[in-house]
Amino acid sequence: MPVLRRMVHEVRSMEIGAATRYEQHQLVVGREQAQALFADPALAAVRVHVAAPGDPTRIIAPLDVVEPRSKGPGGGVFPGWMAPVNRPRGGDTHVLRGAAVLAAGYLPRNQEGLIDMSGPAAERSPFGRTNNVVIEFDRADGASWQEAEVALRRGLLRLAVHLADAAVDAPPDVVEELAAPHRPGMSTGGLPRVGAITNLQTQGAFKDVFVYGRSMAGSLPTLFDPVEIEDGAVVSGQYGHPALRNPTYIHQNNPVVAELRARDGQDLCFAGVVLCPEPVEQADKELVSTHAAWLCRAAGFDAAIVTKEGAGNADNDLMLKVDALEADGLTAVALYAELSGADGTGPPLVAGPRRGAVVSTGNYDQRVKLPAVERALGGTRLNIADAEATAAVDVPTAAILGALSPLGAGWLTCRSEQQQLAGQKLGGAA
Amino acid sequence: MRIVHYVNQFYAGLGGEAEAGIGPRALEGTVGPGRLLSQLLGDEHEIVVTLVCGDDYAASNTAVAEELVGMAREAGAELLVAGPAFGSGRYGLVCARLVAAAEAAGLPALASMHPDNPGISDAGGAPVVAAGASSRQMRPTLQTVAAAIAKLATGANLTVADGRVARAARVGQLVDQRAAARAVELVLRRLAGDRESTEVPVGGFDVVTPSAPVDKLASATVALVTEGALVPAGNPDRLESARATRWLRYPIEGMDSLASGKWESVDGGFATTAANADPNRIVPLDTVRRLERDGVIGRLHNELLVTVGNGTQVASARRFGVEWAAELRKAGVQAAILTAT
Repeated sequence: MPVLRRMVHEVRSMEIGAATRYEQHQLVVGREQAQALFADPALAAVRVHVAAPGDPTRIIAPLDVVEPRSKGPGGGVFPGWMAPVNRPRGGDTHVLRGAAVLAAGYLPRNQEGLIDMSGPAAERSPFGRTNNVVIEFDRADGASWQEAEVALRRGLLRLAVHLADAAVDAPPDVVEELAAPHRPGMSTGGLPRVGAITNLQTQGAFKDVFVYGRSMAGSLPTLFDPVEIEDGAVVSGQYGHPALRNPTYIHQNNPVVAELRARDGQDLCFAGVVLCPEPVEQADKELVSTHAAWLCRAAGFDAAIVTKEGAGNADNDLMLKVDALEADGLTAVALYAELSGADGTGPPLVAGPRRGAVVSTGNYDQRVKLPAVERALGGTRLNIADAEATAAVDVPTAAILGALSPLGAGWLTCRSEQQQLAGQKLGGAA
Repeated sequence: MRIVHYVNQFYAGLGGEAEAGIGPRALEGTVGPGRLLSQLLGDEHEIVVTLVCGDDYAASNTAVAEELVGMAREAGAELLVAGPAFGSGRYGLVCARLVAAAEAAGLPALASMHPDNPGISDAGGAPVVAAGASSRQMRPTLQTVAAAIAKLATGANLTVADGRVARAARVGQLVDQRAAARAVELVLRRLAGDRESTEVPVGGFDVVTPSAPVDKLASATVALVTEGALVPAGNPDRLESARATRWLRYPIEGMDSLASGKWESVDGGFATTAANADPNRIVPLDTVRRLERDGVIGRLHNELLVTVGNGTQVASARRFGVEWAAELRKAGVQAAILTAT
């Protein structure tokens, strides 16, 4: 019995036009309709652009990214923002797969990053492969940055729903049926019960993630309905390390949950999702980790895949959870980005578990040479490279949005050169 | 081969921490561990001169390496051997810099230290052979060094089999399977009984044992150091906001507090508004000055040492730690307050 049906509409091209409409894999974004969704006293103006995979376009200082989704005229996506939480759950959700909406531009706490729509950065970012609606903005005189950020977040969510609404009457390309997680006590046929622990950044303004519209800071870990995450219950307001962010889009498409579902009933039973805050104090980190491990055991998990958002502080949260799970007899795997220096010879982890296993999402420090582009959105300069926004630049992987995706949406890993060379070529020129 | 051997003041028998500030000098023949090394080398190779420098002097002054290489050249060195430094951070850093400088100047060189020595990455491409963790492993370590020297003398390159520490580079690459899918594969392998598989080795983290409390705080010199990226307004030296490659020093002599508007944090990892409104809350100069006036501490060190901890790699952070320790010891500092963000 499915609890949610994803009505998938594959967006293959996008353009700006007079009115929003969707047909035959093409999405037209109504310029004035889109602008009107950002009407807010904190924003003086917004400009609407589109950027497609393969374009010689760079998006500077990307903020949050959202996938267009809609449950039709009755609403229901983004509970806590665009819908009440006490509404019917599940049902049908229309998804514009291959499309994303995002804001880009200066925000004081946003660590500057980029998306390239072509070249090596496009290969590394999930958002180099989507057709993107890019919103540039001007803050209103007298408005605070915090007010502007809230206005942008609301605008992006409204725009995501508005665009997906256009496809509600179109026949879906694919219908994907999602089942509820396997319940404890049900027969597994000998398969292990594997769940996901998704840590959410909770470090205050501009470093916060919202669950049902509220910060998760101060909360205990909780078992959470993965269908609600599909429908946008988790929304990002987090602007730290660009490569180490989990934008709303990535939560909507939680890659760990997606990969667990892909093996559900074959190699494992998908056992559910636990959402956890990432508190800033050590005692709170220990408390949350201990409680998360208990919760997983109580929910009958045999194993968990643990993910984070951010670096340093967040690495400690991962470490403590993996250790707590393994100490409780569960099998744990964590996803970490490595910080082994530009040449890859430094220690790879800042903090790591004593037991368990680690998947690498790439090296934060590894440099990537990006060719010049023809068009830049979001800004005219790339400050981290001290260069014109369109220039050829050499940046650390850390700057490419989502390239080291902590939730596992990226394709980078690291391998040890020594393993490959096994004793050769270590002599140098002595 | 004519070998010039470098050791620190301690292994040269010139003294411990009290002598760590002495400058470079050349001693005839073998000194300290050089004696055993010389025996192990036999008659074919001769240690002609031993170079010595205090750890604090050498670790806090990057120009010392070139000076020592010049002294080795004057002594007619065909090979420069540095160490073994075992796990000692300052000594290891100096040995590593020395072999890197020698290689850059075309003088073959070999260092020896423990693979986890914080200085090791400064050796660059110059060969380093593994030493034990402490001088208790002096003999087996020097046997490794002697064998490596004999091999280098034949013109061959050293390999892992010779004890060479391979700085195995972790090379990033794109793969077909995204990380989440690989995590599921890994969890299934572990559940099936494979407890060894992992993409990144786990464990092996340092546990730092705190030093003993300061004996007489009222006569101690205390330093303020921070990884909170607090710099003069405008960031004149352009400290990075993340991924630091260096640290800076700023005079605080005669200042009672850090004035708002004159100092700012350029850290990219936390909200700096409160820190910039009152920089003393990130580096507590106002409070420490009061403690100094009240006689709780003896004296405040006249420089603030600053870097940024945001996204800074472990290897760099360990090197900054070694350099700060040398710097502060040299200045006669007994205690440091490190404010982190």
